[in-house]
Amino acid sequence: MRRQALAVVFFGAAAAAPLVVRDAYFLDSLILILMWGATSAAWNLAGGYAGQVSLGHSAFFGIGAYAAALLATRYDQSPWLGMLVGAVVATLAGLVIGYLSNRLKGPYFALATIAFSQVLLILASRWRAFTSGSEGIPVPFRPGFATLGFTSKTAWVYLTWALAMALFLAERYLEVSRTGYRLAGVREDEDAAEALGIPTRRLKVAAIALSAALTSVCGTLWAQYVGFVDPFYVFSVDLSVKFSLSAIIGGLGTAMGPFVGSLLITTLETYLRATFSGIHGSLVGIYLVIYGALLIVLVRFLPQGFVGWLAERARGHRHARA
Amino acid sequence: MAAVPQLLISTVLLGGIYALIAVGLTLIFGIMRVVNFAHGEFLMLGMYLAFWAFALWGLDPYVVLWAALPLFFLAGLGVYALVIRGVVHSSHNVQIFTTVGLSIVLQNAALVLWTGDFRFVRPWYGAVVLRIGDAAFNLSQVVAFLVAVLLALGLFVFMTRTHAGRVMRATAQDAEAATLMGIDTDRVYRLAFAIGIACVGVAGVLVSPLYSVYPTAGLQFVLLAYVVVVLGGLGDMVGALLGSLIVAGVEVVGSYVFGAAWKEVIYFVLFIAVLVFRPAGLFGQRGAESLGA
Repeated sequence: MRRQALAVVFFGAAAAAPLVVRDAYFLDSLILILMWGATSAAWNLAGGYAGQVSLGHSAFFGIGAYAAALLATRYDQSPWLGMLVGAVVATLAGLVIGYLSNRLKGPYFALATIAFSQVLLILASRWRAFTSGSEGIPVPFRPGFATLGFTSKTAWVYLTWALAMALFLAERYLEVSRTGYRLAGVREDEDAAEALGIPTRRLKVAAIALSAALTSVCGTLWAQYVGFVDPFYVFSVDLSVKFSLSAIIGGLGTAMGPFVGSLLITTLETYLRATFSGIHGSLVGIYLVIYGALLIVLVRFLPQGFVGWLAERARGHRHARA
Repeated sequence: MAAVPQLLISTVLLGGIYALIAVGLTLIFGIMRVVNFAHGEFLMLGMYLAFWAFALWGLDPYVVLWAALPLFFLAGLGVYALVIRGVVHSSHNVQIFTTVGLSIVLQNAALVLWTGDFRFVRPWYGAVVLRIGDAAFNLSQVVAFLVAVLLALGLFVFMTRTHAGRVMRATAQDAEAATLMGIDTDRVYRLAFAIGIACVGVAGVLVSPLYSVYPTAGLQFVLLAYVVVVLGGLGDMVGALLGSLIVAGVEVVGSYVFGAAWKEVIYFVLFIAVLVFRPAGLFGQRGAESLGA
């Protein structure tokens, strides 16, 4: 029950915030928390639930960002269509990666996904005729719902809120559904799951493909929000790490974990950036030093993440009372 | 056809450098079963060490080399004690994210301390070109290659001829049995990690006259080192040497045929292909990829 309380507070506060606060800086942080939380939740499907830790998910994020930007600038199409095209392309890429990675576990899978995102980075940054190369693509701003152009931060808050909520509910459902239990079986002991007649291969591939498609949707939204697609950012290893970090810190394979992680990381990032950039320009990077150190410590002492830890404590209390 | 000797020589020289980076990575993996995602950052630190020694005191990278070996060995011991030791027996996820965290810390510490500027180490011999027939190559490349070969040979002798080396190989084969034979595996891991870091630190000093130095300089090399190491079979030292030559060959021939811009695509595709079809490496044993999983 405590886990649900956390979700109610988080999503309730996020939905109510724009009604109370008008500060653009605060709303921007809120949008980023929801957006990175949603991306991390998409990553969580493969990394947390299926147990295939990818360090190349920026590949799918970039596919979504580029699909919408290219369709808009080259073919004058709506970003919604771009979102769909991106999701289809990412699903196909996810199917291929998922299928190929069936034999690969742990660090091998992580390495294969890094290599995949690097190939896309090189393609996007060198294929000048189609992708504009390393200069990136400015995303045209056309106001209106059909063209995904909102000037109001409030609209963006609710858009990202809806996406985040949908992902949360999907993963919450996964935790109590038959498919979810099967997936947990695959993650914990693949051979045993196979022996019980669970189609382990198909489940893993499906989880990775779905995760890829949803990551791509997040990429499209992000590109529309920021208004610029830079290949060295959207396909970077750093970004892939960012997706996985929120989930790891919040709790791998938990529905609420990615959002709690995103809340912590994005807040920390915003706070440290504001603090250090005032003192000295070159100290901006220091927030990443702290962030990395925090990761080392957290993974070591709280490997189940904050949400996992809360759930364990809640269970402990119940046992104590009973 | 006139280009063949040049391509061959370039391949061998480049292969030697890659080998030195990859040998440390494969040693750490082979013995500890930990994939060190922060390996490239130690290469970057080696490059910065060479840069600062050169810029501040005018010390030649080939002098710094001898100080780098013990320095990075100590750094390896320190990092092992502080960060790695606690996760040697943890799950893959914990190990991956611990070393990723370490990589973030080191990269950004370099960024904060030394800014993101591209730096160059330009000793007098930086521009010296040697010629044999039609083939031309850079003097620093030859020196880097020779030192790399020497160090790799030294490591090989250490692993096969000394007691400590045999103990390390025994631990790699079966850590549990080794413990039962009275081997202190913690000491073995510490030594393996420190040697691996010393190798890559020295490699950083060696390549400093050849490449520009910046906080994320390690990334391009380490991705390459992973290609090498997986090709040769993770944990296989001789395989790593052969893998280095293959990757260097692909890079040299690839840039000659398709232009330098696309060489990375070629070896990443090669990498993915190897991961898919022979995840245990070209020479490794089948099934090694799921070891300890």
